[in-house]
Amino acid sequence: MIFNSEFSGQQQHTTQPIVTGGSVIALAYKGGVVVGADTLCSYGSMADFKNVEKIAQVSKNTIYVSSGEFSDFQQVVRELAKIDRSALQYDDGVHPSPRDYGNYLARLSYKRRCKINPLYLQNVIAGFHNGERYLGLVDIYGTYLESNFVTTGFASYFCKAIISNYWNENCTLDQAKQVIRECFKVLFCRDCRAHDVIQLAYVDEQGTHIEQPERVETKWDFSGFKNRANEKLHTQ
Amino acid sequence: MNFTDILASKFEPETTGTTIMAVIYDGGLLIGADSRTSSGQFVADRCADKIDYIHDRIFCLRSGAAADTQIITKHVRYYVDAHAQELGRLPAVATAANLFRNFLYEYKDSMSASIIVAGWDPYKGPQIFTLPLGGSVIEQKWSIGGSGSTFIWGFCDSNYKENMTHQEARAFVSHAVAHAMFRDGSSGGIIRLLNVTKDKIEREFIDYKDVPFK
Repeated sequence: MIFNSEFSGQQQHTTQPIVTGGSVIALAYKGGVVVGADTLCSYGSMADFKNVEKIAQVSKNTIYVSSGEFSDFQQVVRELAKIDRSALQYDDGVHPSPRDYGNYLARLSYKRRCKINPLYLQNVIAGFHNGERYLGLVDIYGTYLESNFVTTGFASYFCKAIISNYWNENCTLDQAKQVIRECFKVLFCRDCRAHDVIQLAYVDEQGTHIEQPERVETKWDFSGFKNRANEKLHTQ
Repeated sequence: MNFTDILASKFEPETTGTTIMAVIYDGGLLIGADSRTSSGQFVADRCADKIDYIHDRIFCLRSGAAADTQIITKHVRYYVDAHAQELGRLPAVATAANLFRNFLYEYKDSMSASIIVAGWDPYKGPQIFTLPLGGSVIEQKWSIGGSGSTFIWGFCDSNYKENMTHQEARAFVSHAVAHAMFRDGSSGGIIRLLNVTKDKIEREFIDYKDVPFK
């Protein structure tokens, strides 16, 4: 296909995702917000890239990660990084807050949705500013909501029950991390596009902390798993 | 597009997006499979047993639409049982393969089923028959199938040797299935192995934490 400058009006539209990232789960805890995502990017049904560290730090007190088309995610990371730089122009020492990033992303997503060329993402922005936690979700259409817990993708189906039962907004960091690990265990068992190596990151008063990837332990050696109905047919 | 077409396109059949394989070694036959049954992106069964019993020394490995393969297997099991009763001795693996083939060929337009029939009989020893989608029957020394098999053709082509020992065959199958599970989103969980020889059949369960490569 030859790109002719006369046809420069031609524009690509992201109509279907090619390389996709998995579910994201974020919970507020007493003193900050913790986010978890797995380290897998799938190419359709293939687990193509298995140690992708997705959680991006967009400013000193904000982290961003999303599920969906990975190239759109990388593009948004670039766009968000520009915001802090362009704010320097005003020379007033004011840095964008996490909410500013969330709002910007919501407006950007909505604009793209109106052009029928969406950013194929469900976005999570987490931050801590002026003593307050911030956690926002922006979806593919530009719908914006702030909450104490957010989930994207398959996690929205499987993990909300776990979160309801084991988490509250004033729990400790370790409790919140453990809830996220439990959620990813379920996801690994029940989501074809999930991986058992996850990455956690949290934002608190001190700033952002992105941890090294870790593997979650899942249990498979139930006796019911070993001995299934088929085996009872063996006459030997 | 009418309403029925839209409905049909939304309904994803539960399939055994899967990795299955069978290998003949010196002295018998080794079968391996993963344990994931997927319905679209959802794992419907994370500990499935894809190695189905047909007769005492005949087994089949199923891939494709789970409903289709399950019902065909049920029918073939019944026919082989009746046949073996009348015969009074162990049935031939080729017989089972042929019965599968009749179903898959007759109903090729409405079925999505691909089966590996593997077993031992006293007439020709260990045999493997691959029955791909259209209903053809091909006898092979080793066979891989399912969505995960696409990722391990290179591995299997390079590492297969004729007349392996049981240990070598076990390493070959468990590594191959592990590699397929590593890359295929529709395969995963634990590895089930089945060793078929003249004297015995042995099942083995490789727990997720013992899977050779992950």
